[in-house]
Order: sequence, then structure tokens, then C-alpha cells
Amino acid sequence: MTTVGKPEVNEKKRVDLNVPMETTTGPALETFAMEAVGLSAYYGEFRAVRDVNLSFRDRQITALIGPSGCGKTTLLRTLNRMNDLVQGARAEGEVRFHGQNIFDASVDPVELRKRVGMVFQKPNPFPKTIYQNVAWGARINGMKQDLDALVEHSLRQAALWDEVKDKLDESGYSLSGGQQQRLCIARAIAVKPEIILMDEPTSALDPVATLRIEELIQELKVNYTIIIVTHNMQQAARASDHTVFLNMDSDRAGYVVESGTTGTLFTRPARQETEDYITGRFG
Amino acid sequence: MTEFRSLFHSELNQLEVLLLDMSELAEVQINNAVEALLQGDAELAHQVVLGDREIDRLYVEVERRWHEVMARQTPVASDLRLMSLILQAGHSLERMGDQASNIAKIVEATSTLPTNRTILLHIREMRSIVVPMVETAMEALVKRDLNLALRLPELDDPADWLNRNMWKEVAACASNPEMLEWAVHMMLVSRALERVGDRAVDIGEQVAFLLTGEQHEFPEGWVPAPGSA
Repeated sequence: MTTVGKPEVNEKKRVDLNVPMETTTGPALETFAMEAVGLSAYYGEFRAVRDVNLSFRDRQITALIGPSGCGKTTLLRTLNRMNDLVQGARAEGEVRFHGQNIFDASVDPVELRKRVGMVFQKPNPFPKTIYQNVAWGARINGMKQDLDALVEHSLRQAALWDEVKDKLDESGYSLSGGQQQRLCIARAIAVKPEIILMDEPTSALDPVATLRIEELIQELKVNYTIIIVTHNMQQAARASDHTVFLNMDSDRAGYVVESGTTGTLFTRPARQETEDYITGRFG
Repeated sequence: MTEFRSLFHSELNQLEVLLLDMSELAEVQINNAVEALLQGDAELAHQVVLGDREIDRLYVEVERRWHEVMARQTPVASDLRLMSLILQAGHSLERMGDQASNIAKIVEATSTLPTNRTILLHIREMRSIVVPMVETAMEALVKRDLNLALRLPELDDPADWLNRNMWKEVAACASNPEMLEWAVHMMLVSRALERVGDRAVDIGEQVAFLLTGEQHEFPEGWVPAPGSA
């Protein structure tokens, strides 16, 4: 029997007008997951990035934007010492992670990259099954836990589980481009990083797959700090909480012009240089 | 400086030109509506009522292009603030046209009633205040002149004062029922002109927002924060 009762009153949640819109979803207390202090990055004699001082907020999405060649990707790859793998690459200054400079001799770069994961421009699954792609990181890191549960958890977090749960033994290559990129995100998540660096993660994807990844990034920030390089300013505007604008000098060294909440940077940037770039009057 | 969004910025310029067309028409319409009242010219009043269609048409065109630009160009920073101004100022100018039309309709409706010279002088004075205010607001926009925009509240004060005191002149007509009927209508005319002044101040506030990035209604003595955009 159905009881007809008093209809529920759909009370709209009150908006606290004293809280800026862009901070309403952030953590209650502002903490930083990583800080760059006086950071410069070089390839041989060429200085690609100069004197960067930035604080990346914990469990927030920070977008790095700027013209081609301004050092966005170099900066990103310096944050987990991925650039160590490039011959002639070196860094000056500090990147502080849990109070320690990641360039200290005592820091194991492999351990660092486990905690500061990376997703690349083009989806790069291994030529293995979907299951093995996700379980790989855990296996090589000797993580002792239920791999089936880890794979499922990672694929769920990457919003891919429902699409692949019945074909975990199929090759990662059998997936679409967007699914492959989410598989790579699941692979990065599986080793339980604290920070995920994303280097133009949607540039090889179609618009629908792009929006899907952007949605996913929003979900991931509950658990992870995300730093994303994007050429697409609208993507930065849509998907990030904070935006850093980099430009480059006449000697092609990239530098930070301005950083701030994405809402402010895209409505009233503080620097004319930023205004000129984002409104297309860049010269 | 290299311009990478010339098509978009040319579309923004065209929208500004449409706003200027609207403001010129609005000024003519307000002038003519009050002139029809002062001269008891029913034909001119009728022309004003018909003339409002052109302002409405321009506003529809502004809205149509505005939506297209928003959908296609995704403006940011000062471009976004200009888009905000265009829509709101367009609405203000359209409403000014409506106020002119309302005054003209009152002229038609009260053409057989006796008038009062003091009230007519009051209304003429209000016109001499609010029409230049519209011009000042648009000049502030064209010249991107914050100081000009900031002057608008002060220009509006006398119009507010005249409107607030109109009831005394109306009350003075109480002994003549027909003139009182006309005078009560004149309170509506006074109110319409006062609203035109308020709309001009609104446009000034939008210009200040465009230039400073700060979103404020002009309170007494408002000045933008140092270092604002």
C-alpha cells in the first residue's frame, strides 16, 4: 500500500555569499601539497624555466597555461624529476614535498615518481591486458595487497570500470583513445600517488572524451592533488581551481607571470601580460 | 602587438556601435516625448510611441549577436566584462526607450486636461538633467573614462530631488479636479525621467566595472581600490 504523505519540501541549499565561489569545493584549510622555490630548469646551457616560486594547493587542480615553448611541460616534468631522464637536463632551486627538497641526494626518484605520478599527452598503455596495465605498477613496487581489488578500485576511480569489467583480459589497445587515457589514469592511481601530473592529457582526444576526462579530474581531486598542463585555455577555465600563466623572455626562458584562482584570473587578471594573452592580444 | 582574435574583437566593436545607436535614439525619444508634453503636440507623442519599435529592434539585434558571440568566442577578462556591460547597458537603453514611450502615451491620454506651468517647468528641468546623463554615460564608455563614469551619481542628485518634490506641486493643484488628474499623471512622467537618470548611472557602474574589474553599485564617494585592473 502506498502512503501518500506530506510532500517533502525541497529546500535549496543556501549559498554563503561570503565564500568566494571557486573555493567552496576546496579543503577547509588551505594546505600545500608541493612548493617550488626559486626553481630554474636547464637543458645544457639553455635555461628553459627561470626562478619559479609556486605553491600547489592540496587536493586542488592547478592548471599551467602559456604559449608554446614557455616551459610548462619542463616545469611539470621537473616536479617529479622526470626530466632527470633527459640527457643534459638539470634543475636549480628547490621543490619541497613533505618538507624535503626533491633534489636532495637522499631522495630516490623512483620512489618520488610513485608518489607524484604522471599522465602523458598521448595515451600510452602497455601492450598487455587491461588488468595487467593497472596491476603493473603495484606489482613492480611489490605492493602486497589484493590485486583484483586494487584493479577494480583504480578502474572505478578512473570512471572506467563499468566499461571494461567484462573484458579485463583484453588488450589495453582494444580501447578507444579516451578509454586508453582513463586506463593510464587508473594505472597512475594504482600506485597510490598523492599528486598526479598531467601533461596535456586530452590533446589527442575527441571533444566528448575530453569532457569525460575533465569530469574525471574533478572527481579525482577529492583524493589527489592535480597539476595539469594544457594548451587549451578554456579547458583550464573549465576544469581547474587555480591557474598559473607562464610566458617567456627574449632569451626563451619561461617564467611565471601570474597565478591565482581560475575564476579571478579569467575575469580580472592582475597583470596586463596575462590579460593580453588570454584575450588573444598576445604579441 | 599581434591581434589573434581580430574577428571576435571586431564583433565586440560592432556591438558597441549598436549600443551607441540605441543611446542616440533613446536620447531623441526622451527629448521628443517631453517636447510633446510641453507643446501639447499629440502628433509628436504618437511618433515617439511608434519610434520605440526601432529601439526594441536594435535591442533584439544586440541580444541576438550577444548570444552568438558568447556561444562562439568564450570571452574572458576585459572582453567578458565588456560583454556583461553590453547586455546590461542594452537593457537599460531599451528601458529608457520604454520610459519615453510611456511619457508619450500619457501626453495622448491627458491631451484634453488643463496643465500647470510650474509642473511643466519642473519636468523640462528634469529632462535637461537626465538626457545629458545618458550622453555622459555613453561618452564614459567610448572614452573608457572612469572619472566621467564616477560623476554620474552626482549628476543624478538634482533629478532625484525634483522627483521627490513633485508631489508638492501636484498637491497644489488639488483645488481643480481636472488639473489634479493631469498633475497625478505628471508624477508618472517625473518618475519615468528619474528612472532614465538611474539607468544612466547603471551604465556608469558598468563602465566602472569594465575598467576596474570591481563590481559595485556606486555608493556615496565610491572610488576603485588602488591597483584594480
